[in-house]
Amino acid sequence: MLENNIFMVLSLFLVGGSVGMILFKETIFSSFSFLVAMLALAGVFALLNNSFIFLAQIMVSVGAVVVLGLMVILTLNRQDKNLPDESRKFMWILISAILVIPFALLLYKALSSLNLQFEEVDEGYGTLKMVGETLFSKWVLPFEAISILLLSAMVGAITIARKDNYSKKGDK
Amino acid sequence: MIAENFYILAITLFSIGIVGVISRRNLFVVYMSIELMLSSVNLLLVTLSRLHNSLDGSVMALLLIAVIAGEASIFLAMIIQLYRSARSLDSDKFVDLAQIKGIR
Repeated sequence: MLENNIFMVLSLFLVGGSVGMILFKETIFSSFSFLVAMLALAGVFALLNNSFIFLAQIMVSVGAVVVLGLMVILTLNRQDKNLPDESRKFMWILISAILVIPFALLLYKALSSLNLQFEEVDEGYGTLKMVGETLFSKWVLPFEAISILLLSAMVGAITIARKDNYSKKGDK
Repeated sequence: MIAENFYILAITLFSIGIVGVISRRNLFVVYMSIELMLSSVNLLLVTLSRLHNSLDGSVMALLLIAVIAGEASIFLAMIIQLYRSARSLDSDKFVDLAQIKGIR
């Protein structure tokens, strides 16, 4: 019962944060509500007995990704005229929501045919020790591939964001 | 606690992400919507891993978090580059690849 209540509160924050992210006009506000949504998602991971994923979500998704986004928003120092003019935003949101509904129903149909009851989990499920053992026994190759991916992402980000290779098209 | 609620939550988050990508033109909101879609897949992986009492899904979610971090770095570098080149965050302004030379 308590778990259900916690799940209700967390999903309220999660859905509210992500809807707010779409609706806010100010970029910084939508980034903050995305932060709320990511924190609530970490809580849902904790509810699912995955304590290590909970920690990784807080450290990486909240602590690195969202904060990096906030820093970029603040350093860009954009004016109001740089933002797109979205006067018909709500109409577009309504239209795309109607378009997405059949897809969501299809996903729900497919997923609800799966097993629905949670079983009791083993002792130590989701802890750092067990996740580490699985990661370094069955999943070593994907882990190494991810390290190469992160290295190339780092090099690519530095190359893309370098200062000397942009044209001054809009900079009149 | 039944798994259906978690499925519905993941589907809702994914749909909100799609709606954000389709309807908004602010580059930052598009970026965060893509992140939201990836995170909803993460939630689904963790739910299924808990359901089957096996840690493979959790490890996949961990690797997906690393992919999200890489995607964030590339996308933010691209946003900085696009903002420098056109002084705008409007995704409708960046249409260079969508146009055929001579027709415009």
